[in-house]
Amino acid sequence: MEFLNPAALYGLLALPLLLIPYLIRRKPKRVIFSSLLLFTEPVKRAGGRPLGRLRLPLIFFLQLLLLTLLILALGEPVFSLRASNIAIVLDNSASMQTLENQQTRFALAQEKARELLADLGVAGKVDLYLTAPRLEKVRGATLEPAEAAGVLAALTPYDLADTPIDYQSVLSQMAKERKYDRVFLITDHPAAGQTDTLRVITVGQPKDNFAVSSFSISHASLVGPRLEATAEVANFSTKDERIRVALRGGGAVIANREMVVAAGKTAQTTFAGLPAYPYYEVEIEARDALPVDNRRFAVPPVAQNLRILGVSPRPQALNSLRSIAGVSLDLIAPQEYDKIDRSGYGLEIFHYAAPPVLPGNPALFVLPPDDNPLVDLEKPVSRPAVSSWREPHPLTRYINFALFRPAFSRPLRPRIAGESIIESPAGPLVFAAERRGLRQLVLGFDIFPYLGRENLPVSVFTLNLLEWFFHGSGAEGRATGAPLTFSYTQQGNFLLTPKGDKITLKPGVNNFPATYFQGIYQVDRGAQRELFAVNLKNNNESDLRQPTPIELRDVSSGGGRVSALFSIWPYLLLISLFLLLVEWFVNPRPLRTRSG
Amino acid sequence: MLPEPFTPQFLSQLETLRLRTRKEFLGSHTGNYSSPRRGTSLEFADYRRYAPGDDLRYLDWGIYARTDRLYIKLFREEVDLFAYIFVDASASMAFPSPKQKFLPASHIATAFSYVVLANHDHVKLHLLGNSFTHNASPFYRGRRRITDCIKFITSSIPEGPLELATALAEHLRSLRRPGKAILISDFLMPAASYQQGLNVLRGFNLDIAVIQVLTRQEVDPPFSDGALRIVDSETNAEIGFQWDAGARQDYQAKLAQHNSQIRSFCHQSGIHYSLYVTDRELDDFIFATLPAIRLFK
Repeated sequence: MEFLNPAALYGLLALPLLLIPYLIRRKPKRVIFSSLLLFTEPVKRAGGRPLGRLRLPLIFFLQLLLLTLLILALGEPVFSLRASNIAIVLDNSASMQTLENQQTRFALAQEKARELLADLGVAGKVDLYLTAPRLEKVRGATLEPAEAAGVLAALTPYDLADTPIDYQSVLSQMAKERKYDRVFLITDHPAAGQTDTLRVITVGQPKDNFAVSSFSISHASLVGPRLEATAEVANFSTKDERIRVALRGGGAVIANREMVVAAGKTAQTTFAGLPAYPYYEVEIEARDALPVDNRRFAVPPVAQNLRILGVSPRPQALNSLRSIAGVSLDLIAPQEYDKIDRSGYGLEIFHYAAPPVLPGNPALFVLPPDDNPLVDLEKPVSRPAVSSWREPHPLTRYINFALFRPAFSRPLRPRIAGESIIESPAGPLVFAAERRGLRQLVLGFDIFPYLGRENLPVSVFTLNLLEWFFHGSGAEGRATGAPLTFSYTQQGNFLLTPKGDKITLKPGVNNFPATYFQGIYQVDRGAQRELFAVNLKNNNESDLRQPTPIELRDVSSGGGRVSALFSIWPYLLLISLFLLLVEWFVNPRPLRTRSG
Repeated sequence: MLPEPFTPQFLSQLETLRLRTRKEFLGSHTGNYSSPRRGTSLEFADYRRYAPGDDLRYLDWGIYARTDRLYIKLFREEVDLFAYIFVDASASMAFPSPKQKFLPASHIATAFSYVVLANHDHVKLHLLGNSFTHNASPFYRGRRRITDCIKFITSSIPEGPLELATALAEHLRSLRRPGKAILISDFLMPAASYQQGLNVLRGFNLDIAVIQVLTRQEVDPPFSDGALRIVDSETNAEIGFQWDAGARQDYQAKLAQHNSQIRSFCHQSGIHYSLYVTDRELDDFIFATLPAIRLFK
């Protein structure tokens, strides 16, 4: 027998409360009688002990039985009929790496799955599924239980966040289409309700945890050579904690910091004046349940001197950028664009120009012509007013928008997905997009020439966008599960994953989606190496206190050939009603005491 | 306005009754009850030798013809009756409520009073409460005085403890004429106590009748099973008691034994005894039970 709503069984713990009214009633009722003449012998049965012996009437046991039956009925007991075709869905998200008494939750889930396989019998069929990075069957073919046990042992959890899945509908649909008798979801999330076909098996208990919630390496200033690291630590527990943060560079600890993080809050620390290393790692020394989020990786910005390729029919205007320290600028005419090697540039600026296809580098488009691949341009507007802007955003920092009035603009009408950063009443003036890991920014007004203090709002905006591109080269790292895009790989180049797997890359632009583990992904281009930091960037995985419950509504799933469960709670309710009738007969007359 | 059971029909039925006495008393007026004295009734009593001065109308001429001696016929004197009705007005008569116990008891007393008054006899009501309080009515005579009887008896509130012998002795101190004594009480008191009280009555040469009044709640207490603190309505004494089916049986057995002792004592002492449980119809008790024990003629 199983219970579809086992939480109701906690109600059994409240059953002793039924004694309370009897203990209260046991306190002698004071009744007035005409004479004590015939009550001269205090009955010894009241007990020799000070409190006497608790005498429980038959009605108490009837009530106890009635309440027990009702609680059992609330637990929705069912007799399980033996299922022969089942699906086991294993949650393999990062939180399943949480340790529960020396064992990870994923290992517990594997044990539960093995128990299910053992119950299945030799003739049973099973399909194994994993939830991350997407709900997917592990092997194409349906497995025998013994075979499934072997496959199960080889599975591991990923450093990925939970995939947002409506389990009720997706699993019901799956059960219906593939005619599963039962679908078991083994996860660390609690379940709200169960259904005949869909069963959630929860492993693990709520726990306190600490995590590095953010880590980035940046230059102390736009042009300065100094690097600084910023780490943010989150405390997902109920008490303040003193946490030691260690910063590593090149595998060795280069700085330590101790910080107090308040319960349920985050705290930030900055390590300044870092020596140059290919990548950095921050780790907190916390004895918590989930080790994977105690570390984060970051790589420094690609280059201090931002190499810019300017493409403009009027290159004199862009020349003013050279006045910014650290900027190295090459200017070409649009017709020369296809003839040069663009691989070394950190930013391409298209001033009144646009390539036929998006470039392989981050790109800034200033009033591009109508045949550009990103936006359409509206009619010109002189001195447009700024009606709204994104805030906070790196592009709009420190700008006084009351003074931000370009002399001429053409509002934009984007043709691709992206976000509008600054808007005028006639349409967006600044539009940002990111494709294949490369940032593109389109301006509906001309920011050149760079006038410095002469036009402070626009100059600040120019510096902001340079910093935005500058930091957009990977210093903040990527989230696990997000694809990595590498441009211009050649024959013999390969990718080295944090697990040590060596993946040969095809020549040209490559896309690597399987970033399932956090760490440093390294593209080897022969003499040159490109590093990508990939981190588990999901605080929901780190917060182990109250996992979101999985809602399973009690609707007919329609799955399976026949329902694998036989509900007995209606019969328990019938017995309860019968007991209620018996109680009605057994219950003595109410006590009447003397009045008047 | 008479209370509910005393309808004209009920009163006319009561008028057909007459108290029976086992003793002869000296009355004050001519009445219906035998007196130890010789008098002028129609009931022959004895003969005595003629003495000069005797009324010649009572000479028995037949004896004189046979024996040649003069004898005077003597007749019994018939006198009126003095009835004393004692009603227990202690707190126990108010359980579970005065309406359920004391009122039925007062109805019985009123019925007895009416029977006495309807026969042109004298009745005096005594309320037995606190032994130091003397609470008695004057003698009433004539059926119209029934309203006074009712007014007297309904003006009292049952309260306080009762020492039966002491209270009776207090009331009897002012009693001058012997007669019929009717004691109405629940007799929920120790045997020694009620025996002492009844002996006090006997000592005054009264012809005694006892009516024990109990309520259904006293016969079958309506307590729920469980621990109880039972409080005595008269003394406020408390006792712990575990009430259940066994205790209920014990109680009823003790009550039956107690009542049996009262009945036995009354029988031995020449006292009329009857038990009235208040949920019974009053007219049934008056017209069926009491004549059966020869309390009424």
